[in-house]
Amino acid sequence: MTLRRMAARLAASVRARKMDEELGAEVEAHLELAERDGMARGLSAAEARREALMHFGGMSQMREEHRETRGLGAMEHVGRDLRHGFALLAREPGFAAVCAGLLALGIGASVAMFSILDTALLKPLPFADPERIVRVWEAPRPGVSNATSTLDYLDWRRMNSAFDALSASRPVAVAMSGSGEPVRLRGAAVTSSFFRVFPTRPLLGSVFTEADEQPGAGGVIVLSHSAWRSYFGADVTVLGRPVALDGETYRVVAVLSPGPGDLARSDFWMPLVFSAGQRIRDWHWLEIHGRMRPGVTLDRAKEDMNSIQAALGDTMPVWKRDWKIEVQRVDRLLVGDRFRQSVYVVFGAVLLVLLIASANVASLLLGRGAARGKEMAVRMALGASRGRIAAQLTAETVALCLVGGAGGLLFAWLLVQISIPFVARTLPYALPPAIDWRVLAFATGIGLGTGLLTAVMPSFRTSAGSLERFLRQAGRGSSGDNRAIRKFIVVGEVALSLVLVCGAMLLFRSLDNLQRVETRARIENILTMPVELPGRAYPSAARAALLYDSLSERMKAIPGVVDTAISTQLPLQWIGNGEAVRVPGVSQWIKVRFKRVDPGYFKTFGIPMVAGRGIAPGDREGAARVAVINEALARRLAEVAGMGNPVGQTVTALCPRYGQTGGEERQVGIAGIAFNERTTSAGMQEPPVIYVPLAQTPSASIQLIVRSQGEFPSLAQGLREAVREVDPNLPRREVISMQEIHAMTLSGASRPAWMIGTFSVVAVLLTAIGLYSVIAETVLRRRREIGIRMALGARAGDVAGQLIREGLLLVATGLALGMMGVFALMRVVKSLLYGVSPFDPAAILAACLTMAVIGLLAGLIPAARAARVDPVITLREEG
Amino acid sequence: MSKPKVTIPRDTLDLLVLRTLATMGTMHGYALARRIEQVAGDSLRLSQGSIYPALIRVEQEGWISTGWGVSETNRKVKFYSLTKAGRKQLLVEVANWERNTALVARFLETES
Repeated sequence: MTLRRMAARLAASVRARKMDEELGAEVEAHLELAERDGMARGLSAAEARREALMHFGGMSQMREEHRETRGLGAMEHVGRDLRHGFALLAREPGFAAVCAGLLALGIGASVAMFSILDTALLKPLPFADPERIVRVWEAPRPGVSNATSTLDYLDWRRMNSAFDALSASRPVAVAMSGSGEPVRLRGAAVTSSFFRVFPTRPLLGSVFTEADEQPGAGGVIVLSHSAWRSYFGADVTVLGRPVALDGETYRVVAVLSPGPGDLARSDFWMPLVFSAGQRIRDWHWLEIHGRMRPGVTLDRAKEDMNSIQAALGDTMPVWKRDWKIEVQRVDRLLVGDRFRQSVYVVFGAVLLVLLIASANVASLLLGRGAARGKEMAVRMALGASRGRIAAQLTAETVALCLVGGAGGLLFAWLLVQISIPFVARTLPYALPPAIDWRVLAFATGIGLGTGLLTAVMPSFRTSAGSLERFLRQAGRGSSGDNRAIRKFIVVGEVALSLVLVCGAMLLFRSLDNLQRVETRARIENILTMPVELPGRAYPSAARAALLYDSLSERMKAIPGVVDTAISTQLPLQWIGNGEAVRVPGVSQWIKVRFKRVDPGYFKTFGIPMVAGRGIAPGDREGAARVAVINEALARRLAEVAGMGNPVGQTVTALCPRYGQTGGEERQVGIAGIAFNERTTSAGMQEPPVIYVPLAQTPSASIQLIVRSQGEFPSLAQGLREAVREVDPNLPRREVISMQEIHAMTLSGASRPAWMIGTFSVVAVLLTAIGLYSVIAETVLRRRREIGIRMALGARAGDVAGQLIREGLLLVATGLALGMMGVFALMRVVKSLLYGVSPFDPAAILAACLTMAVIGLLAGLIPAARAARVDPVITLREEG
Repeated sequence: MSKPKVTIPRDTLDLLVLRTLATMGTMHGYALARRIEQVAGDSLRLSQGSIYPALIRVEQEGWISTGWGVSETNRKVKFYSLTKAGRKQLLVEVANWERNTALVARFLETES
């Protein structure tokens, strides 16, 4: 087509009405002239008119062809067809609602999942060039990552060539006092380079610099945007204002812009100042982040760091000389492989549901296409081209998809709102998932794709085929080809559902296995509350120990309490503190997890002693230092030092100091061996753990633990009151039950299981609807046959049985097809399973049975209806 | 009364329209249709209406121009005449036609 013609067609489509008028006038003149000629040949006026019309030929075909030729064809009709489509939908609101609802369900779920996937996997770190942000660790052994000492960090910073910036940070928690109750703020002490590794623009003021890191520099803080809003009322005059944190005064120098800065769940940042005592090499307490120079690869950075480590050789303590440096991308650390996998699996499942939903809509449209065959046949007879009819039917479905898509978007928004807390808990840095332009683009794509998928097939089925056949079939109401396609669709739905149901069954079996794994500690009726001791109010270990005593005493007085305990970590929670233990005379250090507990700990959680005694009330400052070890450590001691019976022996342990960094070597006597309680996720090996009396090695962050006999609703309130009575200035946090903590440790497994489970229920329901509608149609179509058979003596049971067999045959075919899908896809979920094979026969059998039962149920209703067919009525009706 | 009916392919109708306008000069739709029927004689049964889609197509290509005039029955009607581009196009189409028919004719001779 020439450019000129294109322009002309465009112009013609704009002034379509005028063109139609002109054509009308021309045709009228044409017919008048023909009539005049006819009358000149002696015909009557009526005869002449008739002949003129006959010679002219099909008027509406001509008009249609004229429009198609001069205008933009299909494109021009889109708007009109859409309007027509909406009008048709409005005429059948029930049908439209079902279809749009199905589509909204499918589209909504997949859009919501995409937005979560987008957040979790595509942009987990919302900073510039996130792939250049890395975490740098010291690795005592391969696979073990350790925090970093001050001197190591300073050397790395001085000597490296791979990084634009290398920052050190450590978390701090403080009480901000002012008016009213003290507020507990979480923040971080960071080097000024932190703001270059994680570039964020300040909204007010400017972030601190190296000058502020010098010892003796006045205390300054940078506020996060959210903290500025919550605690300072978004006051723009906040800069320079003094703020009391743990009783010390700091000056606000900057407020960050909203966005990534809020995401570290950090309220503020203060300069990290290294005191002389902290400038050592054997105290590992810093988190190191780096921003690699452009073009530097991870391997290059690792090489660079390890060559520094080698160069530092002699200055290193002997026991650290063989340590390596590990460099890992932060985004990869945030989104673990397992999490990534489960998001992909869930997203795949959601797309399957969408596919089933669209298949159902397509099947419904096909069913209706058959019913509308007559209308289409008439329109074709009146000159509508096949393409036009296909286009119009497509437009109708697109209208359906627009409604469905809008509903879906709303549904997706709802789902995303629900998911925000879950995502926030899993991905501390990520922005909350939102419906942004990428999600909208995806939604549009999905909506259009679904529209085309559901529309094109039914509309071609309806518009294809010869006119005669159409007119013939239209009289009978249904076409055989449509039925074949609808059956095929149902078989596909059964297959897809089987895959989903199988996946869900496997995940639930795995979850069940995980839940069966013993907690190895009593968790019923136990409440816990974390408490932070403000440094100003409790400056010394002795003061802290006194507080523990009064807290214990007061907690015992809470109504309903039978056991109380104070410890640094709870059971089932990973112990972050990695320390070391050495047997005198043996040079090798044993890495241990370090836990501080009070005398009530083992009793409260019902953790039995395997040998010796637990922690006793007398184990306090001034008494001989003791410790309890777990079975794993006893085994390690036997391996490393050949210590046969550790109880009563003495080991050297690195114990953290109260209120300051660094640890000191202490000789501790092993008083007993405790049963291995769980500190890791199920199925992993327990690490060696050493328990020391909290009173001998106090800590500023503790967990208060109370246990009641049976349910005791007022327990949480009692615990809060007890703490307030002991010290109203103690910043407190949420009370949380051990059962909740247990549930959280399983969330990695339970969330995918529940999500896939929900999706498979939806898929099965959709499939049931599909099956039902196909079999119901069979009944409708074969009423006459059924009537004859029953008139000839067939029993109702035979008729129903045949229909049910038809349904089961469809299901069986679908199951056979689905099994292939199961074998192809189940390896995907393998990494998410615990203690169950991806081809677990029980799960696959259960899934197949579920589908068979669904098939039976979907067939039962129409079959029962068929069995009630009254031959007399049917035959009379059809006759 | 079954006349041997010839259905005209779209391109051929374009050619007939151009050719007729080239010989007859300016004319309206009815006269054009009648003229084509006359020349074709009994060999062609034209649905007269089908010339209108052909006319709009050829007009949009710029090969014919239109103007409004008054018909013999005193009615406002559209008159068509060939443009310069149309005259050129006619030569091209005639050449194409001759080449094609010669080709087909050669096939029919040798293959039969």
